[in-house]
Parts: sequence; C-alpha cells; structure tokens
Amino acid sequence: MATPVDPAIPPEWLEEFEAAARRPLAARMRYAFIRTYKPVLDDAPFRAFDRMEDYRRWCEENLPDWLGYGRV
Amino acid sequence: MAAFEYRQAQEVRDTFQRHGCRFLFIGKSGAILLGFPDTTQDAVVFVERSPVNGRALVAALRELGFDLTGEQAGEIERGKDFVQLKNGPFDLDLVFAPDGIERFEDAWRRRVEVEGFPVCHIDDFIASKVATNRKKDQESLPRLRSFREYWLRSQGGQ
Repeated sequence: MATPVDPAIPPEWLEEFEAAARRPLAARMRYAFIRTYKPVLDDAPFRAFDRMEDYRRWCEENLPDWLGYGRV
Repeated sequence: MAAFEYRQAQEVRDTFQRHGCRFLFIGKSGAILLGFPDTTQDAVVFVERSPVNGRALVAALRELGFDLTGEQAGEIERGKDFVQLKNGPFDLDLVFAPDGIERFEDAWRRRVEVEGFPVCHIDDFIASKVATNRKKDQESLPRLRSFREYWLRSQGGQ
C-alpha cells in the first residue's frame, strides 16, 4: 500500500485543510454532501453487480461521460 | 431525495453497530469524515463479506427504512461486489470488494475512528482511487494526496 509522498502542500489547499479541521464534523458534512440529479444512475431504486468490473463496465456503457464514472 | 446528512451518518453508524455489522466508511464520504474538504453525493460503506455480516447488514438496512425485496436482501446477504441503494431514506452504496483493497480484514486493521465512525485509512482511499482510475478519481487524487500529508502530520506522523 505504497502511497506516493508529496510533502509540498499548495498553500491554498493547506488553508482549506486547516479551516476544515476547525469545523465540527456535523458542519463539515453539511458543506460536503450535495445532491444533484445524476441521469441514469439515479433512475433505479436498486442495482447489484456481481463484480466491480461489471459495475465499472456498466457505468462506462450507460452513463454520460460528463459524470466522470468512465475509466481513464 | 435530499443530500446525505450528519444525522443519517450517525443512524448508519449506530444501527449497523447495534446489529453487529462490520463496515467502514470509504470513498470520498470516508475522506470527508477524516476532514478532507470536498464535496460528494455518495455515501459509501465497505462491508465485510460473510454470511453472518450479510444478515446483520440486511437487518440494519431494513431498520433504517430501506425497502428491500426478498431477492434484493438475498443479493446483499451473498455479498455482491457492489450494491447501489436508492430505495430508502437516503442513497447508500455498499461495496464488498473495493478496487485496490485486497481484504476487508486488512482495511479493518488500519481503520480510523472519527467520533465513533469507523473509517478507512487515508492510504486505503488513495489506493482504491488509484486502482479505480476513473476520470473523477484522477481529478481528486492530487488534492487527496496533499490532504494525506496534512492528515498524517496532524496525527503525529502515524
């Protein structure tokens, strides 16, 4: 589980991280979770996929590109 | 459907734990619990795949108000890799085999507790996003890696 290390944190991001750390968790979540309609994805009450690969492929074949669920 | 709220995260935590369900918040929703300032629409939990845990999970979901048919409950109990629920009081994604994480037990050992919420370690978020390699993951990775540095420092370099 080697994660590349980049010790340089851009100052504007550092400012945001520090501001978030000062907020209570409830406030952080209030700011973080948003809701907008996602075409296709939001149109069924239940979906289950045997394998993650099936889900990834389904996203690529069925969701609009702009939602960003397609693999690079 | 409104956005996922803190109160609902507490309900997930408390109900899952009351039923003895082993789970971890993962994805951006988990990173947000750690303090990552970003936005998301998805609440995602990584659930241990076992018959006992599957039954506990279904019982917990039904108590939370998810309207599961017998067939759907069976699919969850069997631990399909990915289940998307939009038939309850809020949307919830269940993942039994996230990309980039080999075993639940490994992630469980590395977990972080935030106000009682069991959350995947930041390195597991990153490993998962790298392995998934979607456009939206690629976009968030640089900021997530910077947050990892900040978060590790704030934890005393753990």
